[in-house]
Amino acid sequence: MPPTTALFSCPPTPLQVLLCAALVPGSGQLRLGRVWRGVLIFVTAALLLFIVNWGLVNFEIGQITIGSLTTSWLWVPLILFWVWNAWDAYAAASDRSGNTLLGVVCAAVILYITAWNVTDIKLERLVTRFSDFRKVAVDIVNPDLFSTTVQGETRPCSWGCILAAARAGRLADVTPSENFGDIIGRIREVKASGLIVGLGLAQPGQPVRMLVPGKLFETIALGLLATIFSIIVAVPLSFFAAHNIMMRVRGGAAIYYVMRTILNAVRAVDTVIWALLVIVWVGLGNMAGIIALTIHSVAALGKLYSEEIEHIDPGPVEAITATGANLFQVLRYAVVPQIIPPFLAYSLLRWDINMRAATVVGFVAGGGIGFFVVETIRLGAYPQYAAALWGIAVVIILVDAISARWRERILRDQTQAEITAPRPWYASLRVWSYLLLFLALFVGSWTLLKLDARALLEPAPTFGRLVRDFVTIDLSPDVLEIVTKEILVTIFQALLATTFGSLLAIPFSFLAAKNLTGRSLLSRWIYYAARGLFNVLRSIEALLYVAIFVFWVGIGPFAGVLGLAVTAFALLGKLFSEAIENIDPGPIEAVTATGANRLQVIRYGILPQIIPPFISYAIYQWDISIRMATIIGFAGGGGIGLRLNNYFGMLQYHKAGTVVLFIVVVVALMDFASAKLRERLV
Amino acid sequence: MLKVQHLVKIYPNGTQALRDVSFEVADGEFLAIIGLSGSGKSTLLRCINRLIEPTAGKILWDDVDITAASGAEMRRIRRQIGMIFQQFNLVKRSSVMTNVLSGRLGYVGTVASLVGHFSREDRARALANLAQVGLEDKAYVRADALSGGQQQRVGIARALMQNPRLILADEPVASLDPVLAHSILKYLEQLNRERGITVLCSLHFLDLVHRYATRAIALKDGQVVFSGLPHEIDDAQFKAIYGQEAERVSIV
Ligand SMILES: Nc1ncnc2c1ncn2[C@@H]1O[C@H](COP(=O)(O)OP(=O)(O)OP(=O)(O)O)[C@@H](O)[C@H]1O
Ligand SMILES: [Mg+2]
Repeated sequence: MPPTTALFSCPPTPLQVLLCAALVPGSGQLRLGRVWRGVLIFVTAALLLFIVNWGLVNFEIGQITIGSLTTSWLWVPLILFWVWNAWDAYAAASDRSGNTLLGVVCAAVILYITAWNVTDIKLERLVTRFSDFRKVAVDIVNPDLFSTTVQGETRPCSWGCILAAARAGRLADVTPSENFGDIIGRIREVKASGLIVGLGLAQPGQPVRMLVPGKLFETIALGLLATIFSIIVAVPLSFFAAHNIMMRVRGGAAIYYVMRTILNAVRAVDTVIWALLVIVWVGLGNMAGIIALTIHSVAALGKLYSEEIEHIDPGPVEAITATGANLFQVLRYAVVPQIIPPFLAYSLLRWDINMRAATVVGFVAGGGIGFFVVETIRLGAYPQYAAALWGIAVVIILVDAISARWRERILRDQTQAEITAPRPWYASLRVWSYLLLFLALFVGSWTLLKLDARALLEPAPTFGRLVRDFVTIDLSPDVLEIVTKEILVTIFQALLATTFGSLLAIPFSFLAAKNLTGRSLLSRWIYYAARGLFNVLRSIEALLYVAIFVFWVGIGPFAGVLGLAVTAFALLGKLFSEAIENIDPGPIEAVTATGANRLQVIRYGILPQIIPPFISYAIYQWDISIRMATIIGFAGGGGIGLRLNNYFGMLQYHKAGTVVLFIVVVVALMDFASAKLRERLV
Repeated sequence: MLKVQHLVKIYPNGTQALRDVSFEVADGEFLAIIGLSGSGKSTLLRCINRLIEPTAGKILWDDVDITAASGAEMRRIRRQIGMIFQQFNLVKRSSVMTNVLSGRLGYVGTVASLVGHFSREDRARALANLAQVGLEDKAYVRADALSGGQQQRVGIARALMQNPRLILADEPVASLDPVLAHSILKYLEQLNRERGITVLCSLHFLDLVHRYATRAIALKDGQVVFSGLPHEIDDAQFKAIYGQEAERVSIV
């Protein structure tokens, strides 16, 4: 029976509401005017129904045989959910309070058991294959960064070796290794460049010792250039995606909706997946990396910027309009001054994110440290891989700190009192030195990456086919079945990873909250250790963790879950601990004043304050995890990314198109759902 | 002469903010608009310079139909109408000078104004207008560093940059303390008397109306329920405007 018929044929007496809900889950609640709850229950029931059946058919989840009947015992919690829903409707109709937790538990049992099975979780492998991990772990703590020469033979020299050399006073024998040169840079004799000759530092043709930057600097340049390009594109675009601006223009509403849809769709596809598409156009290399990073970043920034434009104070806009100014003047004098600080802050945040993405975009685009990492993994060269990880960690932690500090300063937005007319910008030394620095960075990055804009104009012949195949994607049933399966596995991976990450982050976050750890020396050390752990772990992308876990637990979704869980743990640990630090001491004081003991204070003074932000952050993380889960397949972490990579490898673009479509729809839906859920929480 | 004829405003959500409002304002008048919160004062004032599109009716200013003006025409009309707001509506992060100069935008070329260029005369005029409201020493301070009363004076200076023949003031003193309220209204009175600028000003306190206005109209539920001289508002009129339970309060 379709829900609408049930909806209107049920009069709202408790018993009939109960019958109503028993027939169609959620309809009872709908009938009582609790629209949100009703819809949520209906959707959940439908999803659970699908999942139990899908799990039974595809993975034999919960399969049991009773006589001649083969079925899944997961129908039991589903029936319980159904019963709970009817009871909930009945309780609501007779003005008693229901118990939401019961319904949530029933749904959770089904979801987690299915997730556990489809992502092939084998916790015992963490133990049985620990020796494999230990080998890698030893390499990871001993990265190939330095070497020493013993009897004419060059040997890697790690921390222990360096320490021994320092003790023996032979530190001079320890030199940066070849690998150090590849990653960070090496001093080389090169012919003096025109610039150096021009500065009078060398004769023409004279060899000079120069630093030849390594992959890490290439990565920094990638992130920087992509950020600059995306800001330049996103700023004007964001005005077309801002509701309050477009409503002032004829036909603006249509442009607004089109822009928003495009931005959301583009944003749903991860940088690494964009790289797959872009290499078909410009070929492997840094150019592909830059373009992929820029495309994703434009969409992300465009959304953030346009939301910021929508949140400006409308008063000045009204006032400037009232003076007879035209649209451009209104934008320049009423809108632009208001959006400069948030735009700067978001740009800095994006720079941070782009730097992180730049460390992995090379996985498929070929370029930067990502490509280097792929090579080392392929060769099983873990000490070299480890050196790259260390380098990345240092760079990203620095970038993170700089970006955070600047953002804080910008958002504080102090006013300075000036008595005299300020000098115009073109007469200010500071502006010129910033411009010069910016130009030098830009040109330096461009040269370092050996970019050639002409590649843009010469798309590879297969690119035309790619576009054609993406328009006529393959929607045949068997492809749909495979893609549905992979995308569900991806979603379940994100679910488990977020769950593991949050469960682990909760205890650690208490250790990293300044207001709870106390003042003693030991607790101060614990605080720094916990914070440091979060920051170090957070600086490495999930894709790189997956490469390690693949070695530990084997290729497959489980490795992906573990990789995602580590990043989820790191980010949630940071967010949770900040949430704890932000709690209001007032209620704690009040509860303490009533004579409550420590546990009671936590229960009544602290928990009510931290549970909503914790849940909100966990949902936020779940959204992030889904996005990351779409790409972990590139490192052997299973899920939809693997399938996508295969389709691309076999040039089956029309099937790849189906995968991308699914990713866009699922990620955009989850993004929407997570935003709505969090909105309701706060 | 400003003529408002059968003005109607229905908001998209169905709220009837103005129902058939008609009145006239002669040049040089100081017209106070009074009425309860939600009676439609702000809506009326914003319809006059079409920050809000009226649903029906006509507004004639010197026999030019404001309601029929096209985009460019409307901007030319707007630049002769200064507006002052309850929340001042300054661009807080811009300097006082930039805020005042922005009153000139209707007169200057788009390109020049987009790069922030204003002529020497405009800058001199801005400083003169700031001096008129007693803020010449604050020209290069950021607007959010000023107090409420100072911000409102910047708002007046901005309106003066337009060389207005008409000033619309929407509760210009509602966010200020009583002493400041008088000082702001004195500026408006001065502009009205000395420069002959017509002023339409919505006010909350009757004694301010008595003190400054030359004429008053009262709105109730979007209709004009009184029109006459300020001192004609007696107790019966007062109850008709503000409701039976209302009591007179006064401001120092
Ligand atoms: N943008 C809008 N959309 C819908 N209704 C509106 C809008 N602005 C105002 N209204 C409604 O129109 C009516 C008149 O509002 P208006 O702001 O003109 O009153 P007011 O007399 O200025 O009140 P106050 O003294 O509180 O400023 C009110 O009922 C208000 O709720
Ligand atoms: Mg108002």
